[in-house]
Amino acid sequence: MENEKLIANPTIVLREEFDDWAVLFDPDTGNAYGMNPVSVFVWKHLDGNHALEDIEKKLRAECKNVPDDAGVFIKEFIADLVAKGLAGHKFQNA
Amino acid sequence: MSCDEKKIPEYPLTQIYFYLTEGCNLKCRHCWLAPKYHSAENPLPVLKPELFQRIIRQAKAMGLSGLKLTGGEPLLHPQIHELLETVRAEELRLTVETNGVLCTSELAKQIAGCKNPFVSVSIDGADADTHEWVRGVKGCFEAAKEGIRNLVKAGLKPQMIMSVMKHNEDQITDVVKMAESLGCASVKFNIVQPTARGTALHENGQVLSIQELVELGKWVEHTLSAKTKLSLQYSHPPAFKPLSKICRNGGGCGICGILGIIGVLPDGSFALCGIGETVPELIFGNAATDPLEEVWNKTLVLKELRQGLPENLGGICKECIMKKVCLGNCIAMNYAGSKNLWAPFWYCEEARKAGLFPASRVRS
Repeated sequence: MENEKLIANPTIVLREEFDDWAVLFDPDTGNAYGMNPVSVFVWKHLDGNHALEDIEKKLRAECKNVPDDAGVFIKEFIADLVAKGLAGHKFQNA
Repeated sequence: MSCDEKKIPEYPLTQIYFYLTEGCNLKCRHCWLAPKYHSAENPLPVLKPELFQRIIRQAKAMGLSGLKLTGGEPLLHPQIHELLETVRAEELRLTVETNGVLCTSELAKQIAGCKNPFVSVSIDGADADTHEWVRGVKGCFEAAKEGIRNLVKAGLKPQMIMSVMKHNEDQITDVVKMAESLGCASVKFNIVQPTARGTALHENGQVLSIQELVELGKWVEHTLSAKTKLSLQYSHPPAFKPLSKICRNGGGCGICGILGIIGVLPDGSFALCGIGETVPELIFGNAATDPLEEVWNKTLVLKELRQGLPENLGGICKECIMKKVCLGNCIAMNYAGSKNLWAPFWYCEEARKAGLFPASRVRS
């Protein structure tokens, strides 16, 4: 599962704010979720071309002072998104 | 006003706001309740201790974990020591909203002996002239500062609350410095509400405009906050707060927990909150005659709120993506101004009309 490409639910709207935080808004349910800048970075890479470990590598390459356990955070965050129906795994053709 | 009983979830009564005194020892020109002036020559009714105790006994079985003592002025209550002893013995979290003037060393120690006490003291200026212009009584500035010192000596770290208006907006930084020097933990900046005495301030142009209020909020939360170790809270609705502030505060962001709260007025009446003192239709019975559980479970207004919040909110609140957190910011205030439970909060509505409501916080 960890090597599967991840994709954001296309109906969910990302609203970026002035301080690099953002709101994820589900127009169907009216639910809104606050995201810190690292979560925003992860969300923007849920494009069907990146797996969990790709996102972690990119984060380490593009950001300074990334903690050792960032991968754990990313994994938990993505699991939460999937559980809420905000993201999923890209269907792979055989 | 119809309700479907089956759809209404159970709501624990977690907190009670006790408005202990009908009168107040100050005459604040912005007060949202406008109590009468209490003096030795003109004593005014207060909540009877036996009613206070009866309500607490009933409420503990319904989920009560904490209470707020406010007024009028709670420390003006002649049996305040007895009331505080009840709070301590019942192990309830204590919040006190006071003007600080009557906060003796003895009272401060008694408050500190209660469970997780939190005390906020109103200070509306960094000097006596400004504070007393707002509060209407000579000598109350030094008395309030002495009250804060007593609280700090008792081991508490009080919150200072400043209501911001044109007359004192230039003293915000100095008020924060004063809070630091006195040993406070936080400063909260309140916006003057257009109810009771606050209405006249709004009508006379003595309050800040919506543009000024929104800008001030940004300045407090981004600039001033970075210059002090104190926690600064600006009491505008969550739609205007940075997500970083909301998330770091655990999502609470100082909003009203209206679905778990009931107010008790000095005559023992149950009400949505203190607003019942000026809006009689928001009174739901009286502790002297009505069991609290019955009031809590059967009052139509409370049932309507449980069923309709936040989806029935109108105006900008309907479009706001923070409405599940905010719940209309202050239903009592919204109702007082419109006689409509689902009216939007005036601040957000004015901001929307002025093009100042944050675009990222509306549905579309």
